[in-house]
Amino acid sequence: MEILMCIVAGLLFAAAVYLMLSKSLLRIIIGTGLLSHGTHLMLLTMGGLKAGAVPVLGEHAATYTDPIPQALILTAIVISFGVTAVFLVIAYRAYQELGTDNMEQMRGMDTDD
Amino acid sequence: MSLLHWAVLAPFIMAVFVPVLRKKAALIHTGWFVLILPIVLFGTFLQYLPVTMNNNTVMQTAPWIPSLGIDFTVYMDGLSLLFALLITGIGALVVLYSIYYLSKTKESLHHFYVYLLMFMGAMLGVVLSDNVITLYMFWEFTSISSFLLIAYWYDRDRSRYGALKSMLVTVFGGLIMLGGFLVLSIMGNTFSIRELAARAPELNEHPLFLLAMILVLLGAFTKSAQFPFYIWLPDAMEAPTPVSAYLHSATMVKAGIYLVARFSPIFAFSGYWFWIVGAVGLFTMVWASFNAVKQTDLKSILAFSTVSQLGLIMSLLGIGAASLHFETLDDNIFTAAVIAAVFHLINHATFKGSLFMVVGIIDHETGTRDIRKLGGLMSFMPITFTLSVIGAFSMAGLPPFNGFLSKEMFFLSMVQLIELNLFNIETWAILFPVLAWVGSVFTFIYSMIIVFNVFTGKFQPEKIEKKPQEAPIGMLISPIVLASLVVVFGLFPNLLSYSLIQPAAAAIVPSIIPAGEQLDVHISFWHGITAELLMTIGVIAAGILLFKFMPKWGRVYDHFPGKVTLNQFYNSGLYAAERGSNAITNAYMTGFIRSYLVYIFTFFIAALGFTMWAKDAFRYDASAAAPIGLYEVCLIVVLLAATLTILMAKSRLTSIISLGAVGYTVSLFFVIFRAPDLALTQLVIETVSTALFLLCFYHLPKLSRHEEKRRFQAGNAIIAAGVGVIVTLLGISAHSSKFFPSINEYYVENTYEKAGGENMVNVILVDFRGFDTLFEISVLSVAALGIYGLIKLRLEKGGETNENE
Amino acid sequence: MINLPILPILLPLVAAVLLMFLSKSVKAQRIVSVIASAATVLAAAVVLLKVKADGIQTIDMGSWPAPFGITLVSDMLSILLVLTASIITLCVVLYSFGSIGSGREAFYYYPIVQFLLVGVNGSFTTGDIFNLFVFFEIMLMSSYVLIVIGGTKVQLRESIKYVLVNVISSAIFVIAVGFLYSVTGSLNMAHISTRISEISAEPIITVLAILFLIVFGLKGGIFPLYFWLPGSYAAPPAPILALFGALLTKVGVYAILRTYTLFFYHDQPFTHDILALLALLTMVAGSIGALAYKDVKQILIYNIIIAVGVLLFGIAVMTEESIAGTIFYLVHDMIIKAGLFLLGGIMIYITGTSDLNKMGGLIRQYPALGWTFLIASFALVGIPPLSGFTGKLLIVRAGFETGEYVGAIVVLLSSLAVLYSVVNLFMDVFWKKPEIPLPETKKQTASLFIPAAVLVILSVLYGVGTEVVYPYVMQAVDTLIHPEIYIDAVLKE
Repeated sequence: MEILMCIVAGLLFAAAVYLMLSKSLLRIIIGTGLLSHGTHLMLLTMGGLKAGAVPVLGEHAATYTDPIPQALILTAIVISFGVTAVFLVIAYRAYQELGTDNMEQMRGMDTDD
Repeated sequence: MSLLHWAVLAPFIMAVFVPVLRKKAALIHTGWFVLILPIVLFGTFLQYLPVTMNNNTVMQTAPWIPSLGIDFTVYMDGLSLLFALLITGIGALVVLYSIYYLSKTKESLHHFYVYLLMFMGAMLGVVLSDNVITLYMFWEFTSISSFLLIAYWYDRDRSRYGALKSMLVTVFGGLIMLGGFLVLSIMGNTFSIRELAARAPELNEHPLFLLAMILVLLGAFTKSAQFPFYIWLPDAMEAPTPVSAYLHSATMVKAGIYLVARFSPIFAFSGYWFWIVGAVGLFTMVWASFNAVKQTDLKSILAFSTVSQLGLIMSLLGIGAASLHFETLDDNIFTAAVIAAVFHLINHATFKGSLFMVVGIIDHETGTRDIRKLGGLMSFMPITFTLSVIGAFSMAGLPPFNGFLSKEMFFLSMVQLIELNLFNIETWAILFPVLAWVGSVFTFIYSMIIVFNVFTGKFQPEKIEKKPQEAPIGMLISPIVLASLVVVFGLFPNLLSYSLIQPAAAAIVPSIIPAGEQLDVHISFWHGITAELLMTIGVIAAGILLFKFMPKWGRVYDHFPGKVTLNQFYNSGLYAAERGSNAITNAYMTGFIRSYLVYIFTFFIAALGFTMWAKDAFRYDASAAAPIGLYEVCLIVVLLAATLTILMAKSRLTSIISLGAVGYTVSLFFVIFRAPDLALTQLVIETVSTALFLLCFYHLPKLSRHEEKRRFQAGNAIIAAGVGVIVTLLGISAHSSKFFPSINEYYVENTYEKAGGENMVNVILVDFRGFDTLFEISVLSVAALGIYGLIKLRLEKGGETNENE
Repeated sequence: MINLPILPILLPLVAAVLLMFLSKSVKAQRIVSVIASAATVLAAAVVLLKVKADGIQTIDMGSWPAPFGITLVSDMLSILLVLTASIITLCVVLYSFGSIGSGREAFYYYPIVQFLLVGVNGSFTTGDIFNLFVFFEIMLMSSYVLIVIGGTKVQLRESIKYVLVNVISSAIFVIAVGFLYSVTGSLNMAHISTRISEISAEPIITVLAILFLIVFGLKGGIFPLYFWLPGSYAAPPAPILALFGALLTKVGVYAILRTYTLFFYHDQPFTHDILALLALLTMVAGSIGALAYKDVKQILIYNIIIAVGVLLFGIAVMTEESIAGTIFYLVHDMIIKAGLFLLGGIMIYITGTSDLNKMGGLIRQYPALGWTFLIASFALVGIPPLSGFTGKLLIVRAGFETGEYVGAIVVLLSSLAVLYSVVNLFMDVFWKKPEIPLPETKKQTASLFIPAAVLVILSVLYGVGTEVVYPYVMQAVDTLIHPEIYIDAVLKE
């Protein structure tokens, strides 16, 4: 199962990279969303999957699933939510100001600074 | 801190007060105050004469960074004293001269004197430091003060060009030299020159010896304007003439000579030293004298002449190195070369200094330095004329001036090389005297040009701006003093023999002097009819002929097109560097984020792929893996389907909703994988972000696909696949390499007992790793502030842009 | 007094929270900012002395013993960098009064600067690899907001690129932590170090070393991962640029220094050779960039990259001497870069442009600015006795000693590129005749100049007083060269 999940996470990464390499800003941001999903699945996989009961002591199981990756993922999810939100708003404002969502038209090395 | 330390620091301290003096005592030319210092210092250094005459030395240390072995150690021996006297002596004369040269009202004198004093201190530091690191520090100070002085009239383009050029070349050399010093310090485990010299024999065996030598020599050659680094010196002539006389003729350019002399005891045992220093010096001498003849600007002639003369001294030092191979002093002919080098060093400072001042006078009084415009000035400026005759004839090597004597000694050393059986020189030996002779002929010619093209011939009043007249007496004092020295040293060379030359030469080749004895440096005027005398006569004869028929053969210079000169090389090199780097940088800095991501991901794939391959790091071990269930497979299918939908989606809404679908599937994964808290959080967050996505892009136009070319897409797909594969392989390998039990056991045991909770994930979040959570909240607060600011604050609308707040 | 090391993180955090509620009064914000920054400097100085006297200071957060809780570790390296970062922040805050503009001031500029400092100081101090990620995120989130605050076109455009690159780097960071956790079963850095040394021959460790190099390299701006940097850094106004240039890339370098001395020192022939190669390419690429532009900001920004290359080379050589050089140079570079960017900001403020072709002749009206800039430039080049010298000296000497001749020479020659770029800048801005004559009236720049000059003076003192700094640096080196010291202090075994 872990091997399979590694492949799934890899596929999510690949899809994310593909999207981020495109010119459309929206697709890029969607790419970052996929990226964080891939990241979280990978992190979870690293703790071992289904190795025991839900990490709640009330379960009184012999073994529990590794709680550490879960805790880390929780933190990571919240942080990436914050980042996504900021990114979205920047994109929104950039679109308003620059009138495009095409990254190729956002080069601007020398013309208008 | 001893007296000598203060002597080095005094000019810097004085420099601090110069701007104040300029302000408080504006009526008096600032130069008068400054003049006091070099005179006092000259007197101070003179007191060390008795010490060094007996081949004794003085050394004093003030700690600076003792932990690194870097101390401010002053070391006074014959060589240092000679330079110290030159620096302060010529310094005093130059300051005096500048008082009349630079107008009190028009010029920003405080800048001039601050730089000049900085230079004086730095130069004293170079010649008095025993620690290579402090030597390097002062060395760079001389480059910097030279930069500032050349750019004194900084709004002229030529000044800035020359200043930058000199700085680039000399600092380049300085940095390389520092490299050499560091290699030496690794070999000898000390920064002290004296201690390094004491270990010279063992250093010679060291594998890094040659590297250190070449690096140090590069420093010396750049500073002393040796071929091919001399190109900065002619452009340095943009500096005010007192500066040229002082830095770019008498002192700073001799720092390289000093360095070679100072490091002779360490390096000169090597045959490479002999060859490199000797050959580069001699070639520079010929090359520069040849080029000097074609110059039309008096200062350019002098600049090339300086390069040539520096080459001469350099070659003598190189040849002098041979003396270290002989045990006994008696029949040692090569100490003669060292003595000649020291003697010529003094002589050059006197005659070249006076010539620069003469040229400064001509420039000052006529408004031009172009020999095509000058002529017939003898009757207007008789004193200046006399001075120029003395200086130029000495430079040409004519009796009875001091230049004659040292030139003879130079020839002698070169001729004697033929008899030498050392360093496989037999085959090439004859070249040395021949080149020396040729160089001297050209030296003779340009010396004549300086005198006769300016002072005799037709006076051309229409070409010059001012009516020429003799310079004020104040301006003449300094060149008169120098010219008298030229004559005095010429007639009575033995005034210098044992007071200055012997101690200095002894410091260059200390190992060959038996304890308690001195080098024999008696200089005599008449040796009988010798080879060197015949060579001198030949120089004069050939020189006069060539000078007379200059217009006939002068055209050979036309065959040296400007395109191939070293100068052109520097200019186009710099231009190419700027242009090239601009082109390169613009080529990869496209401003297009995709390019940057392509570089980053390619590196990601290449670096990790290579490492995994090189280290054979892939591991596969599914034994500990959980079984694969039907639910999971279904979920995976859904997940991939949703992902694929995003990739293919044409409409904005579809993509966003598919992304939501991916998110919800992930939260179902969390359920299956025993992570209920994650599942809940993920659900909530996914819902909110999908809403946010929709909100933000609701008002935007239809998702444009921005027609992308097939190749573009294929490239993206390859990179994307590469990243995916690498991540997967890494994941599998990491999963298959669980070497240790996780620290999570502790949480299982302690969650209830110590933390009083049941849900381990929650307890970890709020207690074990509560610190993370605290800052996670901070991240959200910053994000909130940012979003608020982004929506509310729009600076450009109010006309307020970035930089003019 | 046991909780000292947390103060440099806690003080800015409290200040930031307080400042969020003071957004109505710019004046109050300014006062609180200065007091908080000064207090942070003071706290850092106290911790520094404490570490000097008693060795590494650690705090187990929530009193959970390491490696189970999060441990903060103030070793000499951390606290030196924390102190430097705090001083720089103080100067930048002072500088901001006269330059950042009331718009930005009202929109939480000051609290976000404090948050940034929280992230930076936290990154330097934490002893937990995942906590490092969290502090990175605070720092990055603050930098996202700072880069875009004001919402000008350039800022918006460049911030998208900046955010995107950092999102990617964060994602890689998280999976890297995941992999490391899978292999070692721990998150505590000291604990990971002991575990790695038990399995040092495993190839996966080398792979992880490269993975972490990519993560931190993206932050630090090493070749070929720096491409996003010049454009993004040029977008925000000078004080923000100074913070970025002085702090952000250096956090990346710090993280490489820490991980390559604590975790990944077992396969040096491979990892450190790659590091050396990248260092050389970084220096060369930076030099090329610095020569390429006629723009104040761009020239200074590419100089960041050159410096990163020098630092990386010091890490790659990995001897006691080279690490000492790296630390000397790291602190120097933070101070002088901040100073230079602030000075550059003043020039831009005076002339209204950062294009060298349009500038000129400032020396007559602003001599103090010119000479200060020139001194700072020479410090950047590494002319003794100014601050860049000692670090370069040690790094180059160590390079020669270990046979890395090419690298050592490249470091020396990169100084020449630095010299050329900054002296050209100086000549164009201050000496060249301006195309349009400057206005007769002089702009008031004192409030901007003083904080910048303070940094330059500090840098000069740092160079001249190397002997005073030396024992501190050597203590830091000791911990890095002998990871056991760090491990023992954290795990208290």
